[in-house]
Amino acid sequence: MKAILKSLTLLLLISPSVFADDYTGKEKSETCVGCHAIEGYNNTYPTYKVPKLGGQHADYIISALKSYQNGDRKHQTMHANASGLSDQDIKDIATYFESIGQ
Amino acid sequence: MKYLVIISFMLSISSFATADSSYDRGKEKSVTCSACHGADGNSNNKMYPRLSGQYKNYLIHALNSYKSGERKKAIMSGFAAGLTDQDIIDLSTYYSKQKGLNIIPKN
Repeated sequence: MKAILKSLTLLLLISPSVFADDYTGKEKSETCVGCHAIEGYNNTYPTYKVPKLGGQHADYIISALKSYQNGDRKHQTMHANASGLSDQDIKDIATYFESIGQ
Repeated sequence: MKYLVIISFMLSISSFATADSSYDRGKEKSVTCSACHGADGNSNNKMYPRLSGQYKNYLIHALNSYKSGERKKAIMSGFAAGLTDQDIIDLSTYYSKQKGLNIIPKN
C-alpha cells in the first residue's frame, strides 16, 4: 500500500513536467489573457495601458519575458508570472502571440 | 465671395490640423528609430519589437523606463537618454497611430 502511494505521489510530482509540452502556447497563455486580452486595460502605479502583444515578434517576447525573470525589467506581476515559466513555455507563448492577426 | 470665405476657412482648418502636430513631429523624429524598428514601426528584423499600433502611454512608459535606467537594454538606453519629454510624446503618438499590433483574443 505504502509503495503504491509512494509511486502515485511520485507520478503526480513528475507528470506536470513530463506532459508540459503537450500544452500549446494558447493554453499556456491563459494567465496572460487576464490582462493582455482586455482592450485598454490599465496598469496601475504608474498608469499606462497593458501592451498589445498580438503580432509581436516572438524573439522580442522571449527576450522580454527573460528580462522580467532576471530583473532587467522591473514589474512585480510580470516578474511573478515570468518566473514560473520554463524556456519551453516562453517559446510556446511567444510563438502563439506572434501568430495572432498575421 | 461667399465661396472664397468658405474655401479659405477650410484651408485654415486643414493647415491648423496638420502643421506641426505631435504626429508630424514624431514622424520626423522617428528616422533614427526606423533603422531597427522599420519606417512605420513594423520592424522586419525580428529581434526588434513592433511598435506600430501599440498604446501611446505604454510607449511613453517604455521610453521613460529606458531613459531612467529602470529598464536595461544597452541600445535603447543610449537612444532614450537623448530624448526630451516632448520627443517621447511625439514618437509615441506617431507609432501608436500606425497599423500593426493587435490585442490577443480571450482564449
